[in-house]
Amino acid sequence: MLAVLREALVGSLSSVLQIALIVIPLMIFIEIIKDLNLLDYLTAIIAPLTRWMKLPREAGLPLVAGLVFGISYGAGIIIQAAREGALKNSDIYMINLFLVICHSVFEDTILFAAIGAIWLPVLIYRILLAVAVCAAIAHFWPGIPERLFRKRARQSKV
Amino acid sequence: MSWKTILRGAKNGLSITWELARVIIPVYFGVTILQYTPVLPWISKHMVPVMQLLGLPGEASLALVLGWFLHTYAAIGAMLPLGLSIKETTIMAVMVLLAHGLPMEAAVAKQTGVPVAGLVFTRIALSFLSGYLFNLVL
Repeated sequence: MLAVLREALVGSLSSVLQIALIVIPLMIFIEIIKDLNLLDYLTAIIAPLTRWMKLPREAGLPLVAGLVFGISYGAGIIIQAAREGALKNSDIYMINLFLVICHSVFEDTILFAAIGAIWLPVLIYRILLAVAVCAAIAHFWPGIPERLFRKRARQSKV
Repeated sequence: MSWKTILRGAKNGLSITWELARVIIPVYFGVTILQYTPVLPWISKHMVPVMQLLGLPGEASLALVLGWFLHTYAAIGAMLPLGLSIKETTIMAVMVLLAHGLPMEAAVAKQTGVPVAGLVFTRIALSFLSGYLFNLVL
């Protein structure tokens, strides 16, 4: 039993240490991105993707924020953009769909890289999957997001 | 950009490390101990048919479920004691990253006003589909 506990103690502490050595520099890097206002540049870079998913230009910032900083940060910016009236219901749905599939790409990728996953295919796959799912809906079933909103509105009336 | 930026980043990094430690250490202990009881072998035996399709050992099912309900850190804490191979770790990475922290992240999405049931379902479906694909390709 003592050997089991020692195994767990050594294993868990060394894993946490290994992750800390990567996560702390990463968070510094992310603060630098925030400080240098690099989000605007990144938004410009992903503009073709945004267009391909038939989303308005205003959707770019919440997408990039969610990709870099995580889903809560992205949600904050979506709420703000929605208040300004720049986004339709269906746009908001599509941004959420994209971000639940793919968010905090730096942190997530690095965590799994630290424990030995082959990270590059996972990262590329996740981004492509989010774009593919959103673009497929935008091109083939553009009515789905609106319909989901209406269905819920009916349910909440009953 | 200044020292303040770097300091703020370091502070965030430390607080994330603390959050990680708080979850990974207890889950790691729990799973390590469970491995020596009949519980985890029993669960994994019953999960083998599903997990085989994903190229994963039965024990990894516990990590997937912990990841769904809690978050990535809990899944990592439960994966580490299993000593998975690089291929298995990569399959777990893609599956956990597509579906984790479902209750919490659904709550966040809900704050933006969208109906979330479809989103949660999509994530779980994509997670299994992707695990299956990665197992075939890797």
